[in-house]
Amino acid sequence: MSFALILNLVWHVGTLALIALGLAIVFGKLRILNMAHGEFVMIGAYSPVITSSMGLPGWLQLPVCLLTVGLVALAVERTVVCRLYGRMFDSLLATWGISILLREAVELIFGRGYQSVSLPIPGTVQIFGTSYPAYRIAIIGCIALGFAILAWWNSRSMVATRIKAMVENPGLAQAVGINTGRLSAWAFVFGCCTAGLAGLALAPTIRVEPMMGLDYLIKSFFALVVGGLGTLEGLGLGAGIIAGTQSLVGAALNQTYGYLAVLSLSILFLWLKPDGIHSALR
Amino acid sequence: MASILLYASLLLAVLLPIPVLFGDFTAYQIGLYLIYGIAAQGIGFLWGKTGVLPLGQAIFFGVSAYAGAMSLRIADGLALQLAAAAGIVLLLSAAAFVLAFLIFRGRSESGPYFSLITLALAMIAEQIAGAATEFTGGFNGFSGFASLGGLDPFGNLYYIIAAAATGMSLLLFAINRLPANLIARAVADNEPRLQLLGFPTHTVKGLAFAFSAASAALAGILFASHQGIVTPTSTGFALSAELVILTAIGGRFHVLGPLIGAIVVGWASAELRFNFPYWELLMAAAFIVVVLKAPGGIAELLEKSIQRISPDLPIEESDRTGAPMPKGRRIVGSLEFENVHLMVGVVRILNGVSFATPDTGIISIIGPNGAGKTSALNAITGHLRLSSGTIRLVGDRVNSRPPWKALESGIGRKLQVPSVFNSLSIAENIAISMLADRASWADYLRTDAFNWRSEELSRVLNRQGVPLKNSNEKQAGKLPQGHRQFLEFALAIASKPSLLLLDEPCAGLSPEETALMTSLVREFQENSGSLVIVIEHDMSIVEATSDKVLVLNHGEAIAFDSYEAVRNDPEVVAVYAGGTK
Amino acid sequence: MTLLFEIKDLTGGYSGTNVVFDVSAKIDRGGILGVFGRNGVGKSTLARLANGGLPPSGGQILLDGDRIEELPAFMRRELGIGFMPQESLVFDNLSVRENLYIGTIGESPGLYFDRFPVLARRLDQIAGAMSGGERKILSFVRSMIEDTRLVILDEPSEGVQSENINLMATCLKERAAKGAGIMIFEQNLGFLASVADHFLGLDAGRAVYSEPSSNSSETEIRAILAL
Repeated sequence: MSFALILNLVWHVGTLALIALGLAIVFGKLRILNMAHGEFVMIGAYSPVITSSMGLPGWLQLPVCLLTVGLVALAVERTVVCRLYGRMFDSLLATWGISILLREAVELIFGRGYQSVSLPIPGTVQIFGTSYPAYRIAIIGCIALGFAILAWWNSRSMVATRIKAMVENPGLAQAVGINTGRLSAWAFVFGCCTAGLAGLALAPTIRVEPMMGLDYLIKSFFALVVGGLGTLEGLGLGAGIIAGTQSLVGAALNQTYGYLAVLSLSILFLWLKPDGIHSALR
Repeated sequence: MASILLYASLLLAVLLPIPVLFGDFTAYQIGLYLIYGIAAQGIGFLWGKTGVLPLGQAIFFGVSAYAGAMSLRIADGLALQLAAAAGIVLLLSAAAFVLAFLIFRGRSESGPYFSLITLALAMIAEQIAGAATEFTGGFNGFSGFASLGGLDPFGNLYYIIAAAATGMSLLLFAINRLPANLIARAVADNEPRLQLLGFPTHTVKGLAFAFSAASAALAGILFASHQGIVTPTSTGFALSAELVILTAIGGRFHVLGPLIGAIVVGWASAELRFNFPYWELLMAAAFIVVVLKAPGGIAELLEKSIQRISPDLPIEESDRTGAPMPKGRRIVGSLEFENVHLMVGVVRILNGVSFATPDTGIISIIGPNGAGKTSALNAITGHLRLSSGTIRLVGDRVNSRPPWKALESGIGRKLQVPSVFNSLSIAENIAISMLADRASWADYLRTDAFNWRSEELSRVLNRQGVPLKNSNEKQAGKLPQGHRQFLEFALAIASKPSLLLLDEPCAGLSPEETALMTSLVREFQENSGSLVIVIEHDMSIVEATSDKVLVLNHGEAIAFDSYEAVRNDPEVVAVYAGGTK
Repeated sequence: MTLLFEIKDLTGGYSGTNVVFDVSAKIDRGGILGVFGRNGVGKSTLARLANGGLPPSGGQILLDGDRIEELPAFMRRELGIGFMPQESLVFDNLSVRENLYIGTIGESPGLYFDRFPVLARRLDQIAGAMSGGERKILSFVRSMIEDTRLVILDEPSEGVQSENINLMATCLKERAAKGAGIMIFEQNLGFLASVADHFLGLDAGRAVYSEPSSNSSETEIRAILAL
C-alpha cells in the first residue's frame, strides 16, 4: 500500500469522525435521531459559496460557516427539536421533514447544480517521499488537534455528565438545578456545528450540491453504530472501520461492494453488538 | 361486528364510484395511492401498536413486486398467478418473522436498532436490485409482463385494488377487537411486565412484523401489475421513508389512517407538483407540523367519525365467564438455593446463598439495604444470570432461563417499583393478566377471553377498600403509586402462581392500606396453598405474616428460621433491627 | 424563628385536572413540616407543585417573601429549594459520585459517608446497579448536601431499613438545626413523628389538618388516614 493511500484513508476517517462526533452528541447523548445531520454538513459546505457570492474575503469562511450553521441549528432546535426530547421516533420523522426543508431552501437560493469551491491552500507537500495536497494535511492536523482538545476538556468538564443526566431524567435534572432547555439547545447547536465544520473542510474536495447530505448522514450513523455511543475512542474506531471498509473494499472490488460491505457490517453490529465495538472489546 | 361491516361498506361506497364519477385516470392515480396505503396500513399496525418502527418496508414491497412481476411473466392463468402471489406474500412474511424473532430474542425493548437494521437492509436490497442487471433489469427496471389476470391497469384492476384495501381494513378492524390487539399494545407499553406475565414478546413482535411485511408484499404484488414495470427504487430507502411518512400523516393509531394519509399526500403532491414550485417545502413543513402537533395524524383529528383503536372494556363484574386453567406447571413445593453466586459487573451481589424453603407458606426476606434481596428474586425469575450455583423449584432447575418462562413454572412476581401497563386502562391491565398462561392461540382471536376472571382475581377486586374498581382513571399510569401496588399485585396473582414473589408490596402505602395489602397476601396464600416470598422492611408485617424469615446480609444468608428465633439471633440483631411504620 | 417558605391557597394538578386545592402552609427556618395522607390524596402533586416540577393553576408560593410560583424547577433550585422525588429518584446511568455532585454542593458528604458507608463503597459504580433502598439513601444524601435553604422530600423512608430511617431522622434534624426548612411527605408515621414540628394532613387534595406537633394526637391523624 502506498503512503498516499494511507493518507487518503486518514483523511476519510478524520472527516467522518468529525461528522460522527456531532451525531454522537445529538443522537448518542440527546437521543434525537437527527435525519437532518447531513444537511448541516451540506450547509457548512456551502459557506465558501456564500462568502464568495457576497464578495467577502476567504478568511471569513470559518466564521460565516459557524454563524450560518449555528443559527440554522438554533432555529431548528428552538422551534422543533425542543419538543422532541424523549420521543425518539418522532424526532426521526420531524428531522426527516427538516432535512427536506433545508435541502429545498438551499436549492431555492443556490440552484440545483454543483458548486465548485477552490482550495484555500494550494499545492502539495512531500511526506516520506510521497507528495500529498497541503490542504488535506492541514485539515487532518486541525481535526487531530480539535479531538485532542475535546478529549482534554471532556475529561475535566461536568457538561457531558449533565447532558447524560438531563436526557435520562429531565424532571430530576431540573430539580438539581440544570437548565435543561438551555443545555439541550447548546448541545444540539454544538453537534450541528461540527457537522458544518466538516462540510467546510470537505467543500474544496467534493462536489457541493443540495443532495449531498444523505450519504454523510448514513455513514456517520453507521460509524456510531459500529463504534458505540459512549466514548471518543469508540467514535474514532467506528469512523475508522466504516471509512476503512468502504475505501479498501471499494478500491479492491468496486464502490457497490464497498457500500454493501459497510451495510452488512453495520447490520451485524446492530444485531449482535448494539453497544458497538467498544463494548465488544471490553 | 355490525359496526365493522358498516365501516367496510362505507369505505367501499367511497371507493367504488370513483372511476365512474372522476374517470379512469383519476381512478388509476387513486389506485396507486391505495397500494401505498395498504403497505402503510401494515406499518401503522406494527408501529401504532407494538411501538416498533420499520424503516425498510420497501424491501418487502419491492422484492414482492419483482417476484410478482417475474411470476406474471411465467405463470399463465389467474389461478396460478394468484397462487404465486399468495406464495410470495407468505414467504416474505415468514422471512420477516424470522428476522424480527432473531433480533428481538433476549431483549426487552425495541429501541432504534431494529429500525436501523431494516433501513440498512432496504439500502442493500436497492443496491442489489440495481447491480443484478441480468435478473432485475438494473436501473432500467423489470418490465415486459402482463398484469394480474390480464386486467387493465387503467380499468378493472382498480376494483381489485379497492377490494384489497377494503379487505385489509376489514381485517384490521376485526383484529382491533381481539385480545391479540391488546397484547400487541402491551408490548409497546411495558415489555418487561409482559414478559413476567409469561408472554414471549419477541414472538409477539415477530408476528406483528410478519403481518406488516405481508401487507407490504401484497401492495408490492398489486404495484407490479399496476405499473407494468419494477425499478430498484421500489425496494429502496426513499420509498420506505415515504411509506412511514404517509402512515404518520394519516395516523398510525387508526385502521384507516394510513389509507387517508396515502390518498391525501398523493393527491396533494400530484396537484401541487405542477402548480406550485415550492410544493416540497410545503409538504415538509406540513409533515413537521403533523409530527409536532398531531402525533395521531389526520385520522385522530377525524376521531369522532372513525373508530378509535381501543374499544373500552367495562370493569363491572357482571357476566363473567369461566377462564380456562393455567397451562403451566402449578405444583406447590420447596424453593431451593444451592450455593448461589451472583455478580453484576464487578459487584458481588450474592455470595454462596443456600437455603430450602418449606413447601408452602409465607417466607419473608429481610436484611439491610443492598443485602441482595431484590437480586435474589431477579435470579429466580431469570433477570440476572447466576455466576454459579443452582436454583430449584420443586426439584426442577429454574435459573438462567428468560423471564418470560418464569410463569410457565408457576412463578408470579410483583416488582419493587410498581410496574403496570401505564397507558392501558385498569380493565385492560386485568384482561392481560387473565390471558397470561391461560390463553391458547385461538383464544387471542376470541373476544370472550376479555371476560375471564379467576377466583383469585375477583377476590382482590371485590375486596372492600381495594382502590381499583371505582377508579375513574382511564390510564393506569395516572394512578398514585400506592394504587399501582394493588393493581400490580392483582396482575401477579391472577394466574394463580404456585410461587409468588412480592418485592416490598407495602411500600408507599398508608398504615390502613398496608393492613389491607397484608391481609390480601395472607388470603391468597391460604386459599391457594402456594409458597409466597415477601421482601419487607416493616417488622410488624413480617411478624404477622411469616412462617419463616430469611435474613440476608452482604449477599449471604445469615439466618433462616421462625420470626422469634430470627429476632433473638445475635448475628441478625447486630446488622438489622427492623422497625414498623 | 423566621418564616422561610410559604404556600398560600395553592391549587394545581396535571394537564388541566386539579388534584390539590387551596392548600396553605408555612415553614420556618429550622422548621420541619410533616405532610401525611392516604395514597391518591395529592401528596406527590403538592410536593411537585412546591418544587416546581408542576406549574400551579392558582395560589402563591413564597421563598423568603419572594413570589416564586411562576419559576421553573431549575430556577427554584438556584434560589435554594432542593428536592428528593418519590420515583425516578437518582440518575441510574451516572455513578454514585456523579449523582452526589451534579448539583452545587453546600457541604462535603464525608459525614454522610460515615453514616451510610454503602455510598463511599460504591462511589464509582453506576447508581442503577444499587438496590431500591440504596437509591433512596443516595437521593436523600444528595438532597442533604446541596446548598439549599429548603429541602422537599417525597417519601424518603420507603423501602429503607429502620436503622437507616433513624439515621435519616438524625440528618434531617441536624440540617434543620443549621437553619434549613424541611418539607417531608411520609407514610411512615413513626418516622414523621420523630422529626416533624408541624403536621399537615391532606384528604381529597385539601388540607384537613394543620397542627404543631406539640398539639397533635395520633388518634386524629390515624382517623384521617383511615380508609
